[in-house]
Amino acid sequence: MYSQTRVYFPYVSPFDPCPPIRVKTFQVNPQLFIGFQPENLPQFSPMEALRHGVLWPALYSPYAGRGDQEGLEG
Amino acid sequence: MTNTPQPIDNRFYEMLERLQAVDFVLVELNLYLDTHPNDMQAINQYNEQAEQRWAIAHEFEALYGPLTNFGHSYSGYPWQWNQVPWPWQV
Repeated sequence: MYSQTRVYFPYVSPFDPCPPIRVKTFQVNPQLFIGFQPENLPQFSPMEALRHGVLWPALYSPYAGRGDQEGLEG
Repeated sequence: MTNTPQPIDNRFYEMLERLQAVDFVLVELNLYLDTHPNDMQAINQYNEQAEQRWAIAHEFEALYGPLTNFGHSYSGYPWQWNQVPWPWQV
């Protein structure tokens, strides 16, 4: 299953006052590709669904942070 | 939630977690059914889960007192609703 994180590279001007952010990430969740949800998709068990935050594995979207805040989390 | 603060055993947390899982499935199914009113299989699952949810809740309340008030749960004697521990203390 490919990662749901994509990146883009903002334009960095020589006159930027602050240190440039060269890589930005954004999430591409499954619901963007599924459209209208079909019936009878496979489901998690209740406990798993609670852990994953969604009832259907097809729509599961893990989020592991923006990746630009090492050491800042928590 | 009983009058004498009963030591909370792990069965308390176990049952609460099971109830939480079933409640979450019900929330998901409810939102799904809002946009898929004709999905018979999901409706059956929703009703099964609702029935199961009440079984778990009543089992829990029989042991540890009411989960909700204002008539949505029974109470033992004496009145158990405002006894410790509260949900945020658990």
